[in-house]
Amino acid sequence: MIARFFRLLERQMNLQLRMRTFNLYNLLLFFLQPAVFSAVGMILSRAAGNAAPDLVYTVIGGGIMGMWSGLVFTSTFDIRADRREGTLELIVGSPTSLGKVEAIRTFTNVVAGLVSMAAAFLAALLIFKYPLQEANLPAALFSLLLALFGLWCLGMFLANFMVWSRLTTSIVDFLETPVAVLCGFMYPIRVLPTWMQAISSIFPIRWALEGMHAALQGSHDAALLGRSWGLAFGVALVFLGLARVLEGKVHNLIRVTGELNSI
Amino acid sequence: MGLFAIKAELLKKVFITRTGFWTRKTKATLAVDGISFDVGQGELFGLLGPNGAGKTTTVKMLSTLLLPTSGKITILDLDIVRQTQEVRKRIGFTFGGTRGLYTRLSGIDNLRYFAELYGLDPAITNKRIPELIEVVGLTGRGGDRVENYSSGMMQRLHLARALLHDPELIFLDEPTVGIDPVGARELRKTIRELKAQGKTILLTTHYMAEAEELCDRIAIINKGHLVAMDTPSALKQRISGDALIEVLMKEENYAALKEQLEKLDGRSSVLVTDASPLKRISIRTPEPGAVMQLLAPFISPGYIQDLEVRNQTLEDVYVTIIQGDRA
Repeated sequence: MIARFFRLLERQMNLQLRMRTFNLYNLLLFFLQPAVFSAVGMILSRAAGNAAPDLVYTVIGGGIMGMWSGLVFTSTFDIRADRREGTLELIVGSPTSLGKVEAIRTFTNVVAGLVSMAAAFLAALLIFKYPLQEANLPAALFSLLLALFGLWCLGMFLANFMVWSRLTTSIVDFLETPVAVLCGFMYPIRVLPTWMQAISSIFPIRWALEGMHAALQGSHDAALLGRSWGLAFGVALVFLGLARVLEGKVHNLIRVTGELNSI
Repeated sequence: MGLFAIKAELLKKVFITRTGFWTRKTKATLAVDGISFDVGQGELFGLLGPNGAGKTTTVKMLSTLLLPTSGKITILDLDIVRQTQEVRKRIGFTFGGTRGLYTRLSGIDNLRYFAELYGLDPAITNKRIPELIEVVGLTGRGGDRVENYSSGMMQRLHLARALLHDPELIFLDEPTVGIDPVGARELRKTIRELKAQGKTILLTTHYMAEAEELCDRIAIINKGHLVAMDTPSALKQRISGDALIEVLMKEENYAALKEQLEKLDGRSSVLVTDASPLKRISIRTPEPGAVMQLLAPFISPGYIQDLEVRNQTLEDVYVTIIQGDRA
């Protein structure tokens, strides 16, 4: 059972990376976009006379922006391509659940998105000499893992809407910027109006980023970090649960509407 | 296990489409309308019908890809709605055309991926893939990217994919569409071999000769409903055991022949169609000898341009049934 899961994981990741992830568009999305975001953010932040602590938002923001864009665009592209190429109905018609396939795909897309974070950090470290000496690196890494987990759970949830119909796939595409704004990718969340902060609290990335920001600014405050991590993990689990509930419903719905094979 | 591999009862499928933004319009399309049939274990069953008749929708319902709006489907004694995953493990399916493959991967990588989706053990996968590559005639090309395959090779790879998990029941939706005659003949040979192995096969095709050659029984559907179902020979008998005589002649000579043809009794029928500048006279008769005697005086270079006497083919039967249903 476990061996079978790992074989499926290996095979699906192999296909995902070779078919979808490693093409010029995605490489630019994963690598160039975050580096540009970070660099522009750093230039603007320095021009405004901000000190290193505020620069953390531009560094992480660029990286997380690349990861998020990569997840949204690659995942929607996957579903569109599968519909267009007729492979979606073959996957649905196999004994392996579409949910399992989507879980592995989303995982692959999220992990591939780490390139974005690496690109953003490299741009900050090498070009702008961003100081890391005072950062709480273990806590920052743990926050990054939680951000990955949160993105994965959110991706699983959104995958249901992508499979549902062509219209809902397009709607997911449009979530890219609103989520980036709401989750405070490029600036402290406290600058947002209260109502926007309330909406952003439903996204696990917002809490993981809060932890990462604090850790990179050298925080060892267990209460602050623990709260961010707990909320990031908890909200992510809610999305995972919703994804599981939706999976069965969407599976039946697409077999009623015939959207599996629509071009 | 029961005698039937497929049992479809009063199968109906309605697609609802909604258009417009401010004023939403709903349109219901009846794709399949109360079809019932069954397919025995080991049978090769053909599903024929014009474009849009509901063949592919029927196959997709039978293969669990679509849910019927109403009716009941039992596949290998399993209910397709309640036991979907069990059904999927035991059936294979292909849909005609070149879609349904990962073109940037090799044929073998495509098969490996789908083997994983069907939960095949690696030892079985490693043994099965080279076997299937050989069976479908892709030996030496399995390692090539699918984007470099011809449409015929893609079709054959589809068949290999459908056979990976050694299914008991196989749905082949227009498997020879777009394949050259030699490739189509090879594929038909493979289909016959599958039947010889005891597989149950449901085949849809537009090629009547293919259906006549391969199928034990044939169902003809039109506008979503079943219009005929029997063995190919019984279908041909059902229309009639008549011979078909086709004559091509100049229009100005037809009047004289017409007088002779009026002497035929009511068991024969004459259909005259324009094949400008000639007339095509199709005579369906149980007594071809008598008709030939009537035609004998006209068999000279100035009159009849072409004459053919033949038994009715499945295509004649199909056209008669579909045209009758349209009328």
